[in-house]
Amino acid sequence: MSARKQVAGRQKYSRERKALVVHRDMHALMNYQTQLSAAGLVPIIARDLGTALAAMTQHFFEMAIISAQINEGGDGWALGGVFRMVFPRAYVAVITPATTVETLQMAINSGVTQVYEANKAPNEVVDAIFQELTPAHGLLQ
Amino acid sequence: MLIVDDEESITRTMQMMFEERGFTVQTACSCAEALRALGNGHKYDAVITDLNMEAEDIGLEVARAAKRATPAPVVVVCTGYANVNNARVALDMHVDYLATKPVDLDQLFSAVDRLLARRRDDPASMMRASKSALPRREI
Repeated sequence: MSARKQVAGRQKYSRERKALVVHRDMHALMNYQTQLSAAGLVPIIARDLGTALAAMTQHFFEMAIISAQINEGGDGWALGGVFRMVFPRAYVAVITPATTVETLQMAINSGVTQVYEANKAPNEVVDAIFQELTPAHGLLQ
Repeated sequence: MLIVDDEESITRTMQMMFEERGFTVQTACSCAEALRALGNGHKYDAVITDLNMEAEDIGLEVARAAKRATPAPVVVVCTGYANVNNARVALDMHVDYLATKPVDLDQLFSAVDRLLARRRDDPASMMRASKSALPRREI
């Protein structure tokens, strides 16, 4: 195999895998950023819907962690639904204040992969996500 | 499309409404009947199932069997008895839509149309966690 082909192959398999984190709390954002970086992902963070949507036009994401409430109550679900439409294979997690029938229904109907409660620490959420990942999500290749 | 509900008035109404919209509809009045239909090689684009039939939450078995089918149909669960436990199971098995009774039929039509269109345009979009991509299918 030529050196050029080898380089191309290496680039293919070492491409950056990006995760979008959308949360209006800067402390939570920083925590998720640290945890995702430690897990080998490149986190792109956003504190509002506009920045999140702009990021979705500029990056290819394989994961999203989105707060259910960004600018106003429940807008995180809509963002999760849009994210699912744009990145059909991605893992989409939404952070909710509590798990109720309504939040689970919102998750199912928005195409969200999983919901996690806000009282769970970011490292626990990231650990739980990695335990749930399947080859279909692309992150395990 | 397969519609599963132990109340005949519901299956009949939904069958009529979906047939008016151009679907070919088969009905089943129990989980057992639905599992037979899914197991004997019929290919469905969508499966809409009630949750509580001959047993509580047994509609999840229909959803699970439908999700195992290749290609996997769009799976909709309709229930008047959603709780955190059965909704959590539905989420974990990647049910495509959860409707609560009384079902808003316009919302249901819209959801089914959207999910089928998405699958037509991008079969991978329906494999949130399944391990194989779905081939393109006609409605």
